[in-house]
Amino acid sequence: METKMALNYQGKSQKRSAVEKSINAFLIVYLFILLTKAAVCTTLKYVWQSNPNNDEPWYNQKTQKERETLKVLKMFTDFLSFMVLFNFIIPVSMYVTVEMQKFLGSFFISWDKDFYDEEIHEGALVNTSDLNEELGQVDYVFTDKTGTLTENSMEFIECCIDGHKYRGAAQEAEGLSETDGPLTYFDKADKNREELFLRALCLCHTVETKTNDVVDAATESTELTYISSSPDEIALVKGAKKYGFTFVGNQNGQMKVENQRKEIEVYELLHTLNFDSVRRRMSVIVKNQAGDIILFCKGADSAVFPRVQNHEIELTKAHVERNAMDGYRTLCVAFKEIAPDDYERINRQLIEAKMALQDREEKMERVFDDIETNMNLIGATAVEDRLQDQAAETIEALHAAGLKVWVLTGDKMETAKSTCYACRLFQTNTELLELTTKTIEESERKEDRLHELLIEYRKKLLHDFPKSTRSLKKAWTEHQEYGLIIDGSTLSLILNSSQDSGSHNYKSIFLQICMKCTAVLCCRMAPLQKAQIVRMVKNLKGSPITLSIGDGANDVSMILESHVGIGIKGKEGRQAARNSDYSVPKFKHLKKLLLAHGHLYYVRIAHLVQYFFYKNLCFILPQFLYQFFCGFSQQPLYDAAYLTMYNICFTSLPILAYSLLEQHINIDTLTSDPRLYMKISGNAMLQLGPFLYWTFLAAFEGTVFFFGTYFLFQTSSLEENAKVYGNWTFGTIVFTVLVFTVTLKLALDTRFWTWINHFVIWGSLAFYVFFSFFWGGIIWPFLKQQRMYFVFAQMLSSVSTWLAIILLIFISLFPEILLIVLKNVKRRSARVHHLISSSA
Amino acid sequence: MQKTSQSSPSRRPDNTAYKQQQLPACRVQLTASRVLLCFFATGLSCLAMGIVLLLSAKGIQEVEINYTETCADCAALRENADNFDKECSCSIPFNIPQAMQGDVYMFYKLYGFYQNLYQYVLSRSNIQLVGTDVKHTDGCDPFATLNGTPIAPCGAIANSMFNDTIILSYNFNSSEDIKVPMLNQGIAWWTDKYVKFQNPSFNDLPSAFEGTVKPPSWSQPAYELDADTPENNGFTNDAFIVWMRTAAFPTFKKLYRRLHRTQHFTEGLPAGSYSLHITYNFPVTKFHGEKSVVLSTLTWSGGSSLFLGLAYTVTGAVTWLAFFSMMAVYVTMEKRI
Repeated sequence: METKMALNYQGKSQKRSAVEKSINAFLIVYLFILLTKAAVCTTLKYVWQSNPNNDEPWYNQKTQKERETLKVLKMFTDFLSFMVLFNFIIPVSMYVTVEMQKFLGSFFISWDKDFYDEEIHEGALVNTSDLNEELGQVDYVFTDKTGTLTENSMEFIECCIDGHKYRGAAQEAEGLSETDGPLTYFDKADKNREELFLRALCLCHTVETKTNDVVDAATESTELTYISSSPDEIALVKGAKKYGFTFVGNQNGQMKVENQRKEIEVYELLHTLNFDSVRRRMSVIVKNQAGDIILFCKGADSAVFPRVQNHEIELTKAHVERNAMDGYRTLCVAFKEIAPDDYERINRQLIEAKMALQDREEKMERVFDDIETNMNLIGATAVEDRLQDQAAETIEALHAAGLKVWVLTGDKMETAKSTCYACRLFQTNTELLELTTKTIEESERKEDRLHELLIEYRKKLLHDFPKSTRSLKKAWTEHQEYGLIIDGSTLSLILNSSQDSGSHNYKSIFLQICMKCTAVLCCRMAPLQKAQIVRMVKNLKGSPITLSIGDGANDVSMILESHVGIGIKGKEGRQAARNSDYSVPKFKHLKKLLLAHGHLYYVRIAHLVQYFFYKNLCFILPQFLYQFFCGFSQQPLYDAAYLTMYNICFTSLPILAYSLLEQHINIDTLTSDPRLYMKISGNAMLQLGPFLYWTFLAAFEGTVFFFGTYFLFQTSSLEENAKVYGNWTFGTIVFTVLVFTVTLKLALDTRFWTWINHFVIWGSLAFYVFFSFFWGGIIWPFLKQQRMYFVFAQMLSSVSTWLAIILLIFISLFPEILLIVLKNVKRRSARVHHLISSSA
Repeated sequence: MQKTSQSSPSRRPDNTAYKQQQLPACRVQLTASRVLLCFFATGLSCLAMGIVLLLSAKGIQEVEINYTETCADCAALRENADNFDKECSCSIPFNIPQAMQGDVYMFYKLYGFYQNLYQYVLSRSNIQLVGTDVKHTDGCDPFATLNGTPIAPCGAIANSMFNDTIILSYNFNSSEDIKVPMLNQGIAWWTDKYVKFQNPSFNDLPSAFEGTVKPPSWSQPAYELDADTPENNGFTNDAFIVWMRTAAFPTFKKLYRRLHRTQHFTEGLPAGSYSLHITYNFPVTKFHGEKSVVLSTLTWSGGSSLFLGLAYTVTGAVTWLAFFSMMAVYVTMEKRI
């Protein structure tokens, strides 16, 4: 349980989308409406029945059983009956439809050929279908750097030995004069040091070799393939190979290295002091053929420089810093000869630590710390990690879409910073605020200095952004942009600083600063720290939606922590992809995933949810109103078949098709204009305003259905031959208007008419008509009551009914039509204004 | 094995229009002229329809004679259920100032009679009414059986059937009273009369109803509902079928008779004085209800309600209002460009 994986593992909790939370809120409102309706009806029923004529008129006498029941019990059963009568207001079928929409809809992501990557022959992978719409709601993007923003295909670029710079490939280190290429190193270090450096590269790693098992025994030069968990190490070993030192393999603790003179040198591997993210370095202890015991160490500059003799550092340090500025990943290499007696002691200590049952970790750390001191610096390496294709465009698009992008990386600050510039996370006009060990300095007054800085930055930001947080997103484009850089140690200082009262304050100030910055770079992060940051942002005021994207095992905790976790199918294994909610092959795919897929999914499901509540409210409202005209006797307005079929057959498929196919804006437009993403941010379509709009629309329509038909029924007869209609015809007229209105309302909302939409919408209506004829056309032997017999057909034989149905549908839809036209005019006039201003 | 070696291309998503969300689709394009045209046309047709409806509704003549209070004695008598077998009748003279041309229909109208109460609507047996089993009274509570004998027709609806007799007489030449000929058939839905309601199949009706009793509120058994026409008896009696179709609201009209256009009445009801002779059986004052007789002509759109015509006219007017305001906005916008 103390593996790295276990320590970094976080319990996977159920992820629920913001839309689902809104649904639950709406549901409570509707439940309240249901209870109110039932309570109102029950109360009014007993008020009405307090008149004995109404309670038991001569034509409707009570049965003996009814007379004997207790009044309280009767009230209770009445209340329950009203609940049953009105229960359709709770859209139970919505849950089924939502699940279907999510499940079927998620296929569109995995089917998208734009997510297909030629190199790994894979497309996007959807691990959960619950969060589709969340992709359209993201406020914060947390991205890993290595392997996510960058390719994670490392290339050895240059090295420096004793402060002398070596650059260029395919060149032997010693071949000063005999090379045909241009002079690529300016100065040359001592030959021994060169060889020592290269040996260090060849020995100090955990790379394993795999000879290609092609039984082409003829050729001696079997291809060597290096396998390692870290691409850096492979790059270094390959780099050493270019300079003539080839790592051949490791057999039974014997490391074989082929040197420049094609001789095989054998080293006995005594100990490997593994890499870990706290020490940020690794070492090996080897014994050469001569019996000398040497320790080679490589690691981050900050981890190595304090442990070497001071006078050697300066030149190399300058190199390392320059390389880091160029965006290369740098490592420093050091060595130390160990005297045999010392080795005895070290060996003992190491074995002891390894065998320890308690606090092994700490003991090992102490021993490692002890061993890796007083080393001699040999040089440094620079490895390039190229930016991924279109990483910069993607970041720019995300920025334009109003998202805040945070880069969380374990790399050193300079490297990460230059990558951020390269991928345009920071632009030239971005003012950087730095909260790093450098700015805070290694002094005792760390915390005071930190406090000062925080206050200063906050002042600066607050001055620049006046209070209105709403316009913040727009303000980005106009105002000076701010970027924040913070490193792991400072972050832990802020988050876990001593328990005094100030610590809480730090955090809140820090969060205020973070919220105002468009881009944040967190470097030198431990995996759990990444999750810590995500959690911190997640709990901000207004609980913004966070998205994490990463490729390696170290990103798993952050992927699990955030609302949406996206894994890149990278080179560091599938850990991230497997723990993620969605995985894509490349970072650039994030753009389409969020801007097009996320946006569409959100619009679709938000509309679906609103529509379901709407259609059930205007379904049940006439039934509620009818109670006022039937003595609150729970007489249903619609036939039982209509009650059950309404949600299942008549109105379910059009909305499902809509919620799968609708593209209110073209996919291409969505991807090319990221600003559209802002329109739906903050769960815009499920806020109180739209909810009230839909609810009032439903109430209006329900009222029109009921009273329109009510007034129609005031006449003597609706037919020219004076045949009279009953209550079931009344209900059927209301229901017909209802089904048509609700379906046509969806048709009005549909912007993207595929043949499926046409088929389903017109098909549903046709099915309703067909079913009604069929249902009323036969005396059904299993039915007690033949109440619907020929009701529908008889209804349609009246011209007035036709006219009334058409009119009521039109009146119900009129506000909606007007609104659509007005919106169009507004948009058009906005466009006209735009045209005028641009032409002027 | 073949498959695995070719697995890489198979993982590529299919490039079909559906899967790539690229199905051919038409997007609704709302151009100003199209929208304006639609609004104009809709407004026009609504207005036209409204005016036509209003005009035709205006041509309808309707007379309503409320006889709850005019027959006050009878009403008082009927308040007591024990007097159900005592006859009571009254006569109400009235005037029709203008001739009622064409077909004239006589309705009875009840106020405050809830035919749509949940228990009431359920209280009937369709198996009995369709003639399958005359003794089937399931669901007819509380009017299923009387002292153990099944009631036919059973149930609260049948029991409370409207049983006033209304006879219209025309005072011809102010001396002679002529009974206006009225038809009591052809007033129910065809499908009800010939499919949904069937008498039990026996040679003669009385024996078909053997073993059953009449509903408690009825004065005669079902097979004697219409003494004049033997085939209009039992469950297939038109007036009975009309009553069995429960009304949607507590105030409702039901068709009672239609004018038989013979003799003086080939053109309808001429203007003049008339009187109603009513055999008052149906109690309404018990539940504070009222009842009246309605004489009405009809047109193609049915009865004399202005609602539909007005609704169409108003809708048309509103649509035109929207049309003109949009037109104004559109024109000013065009000008600005």
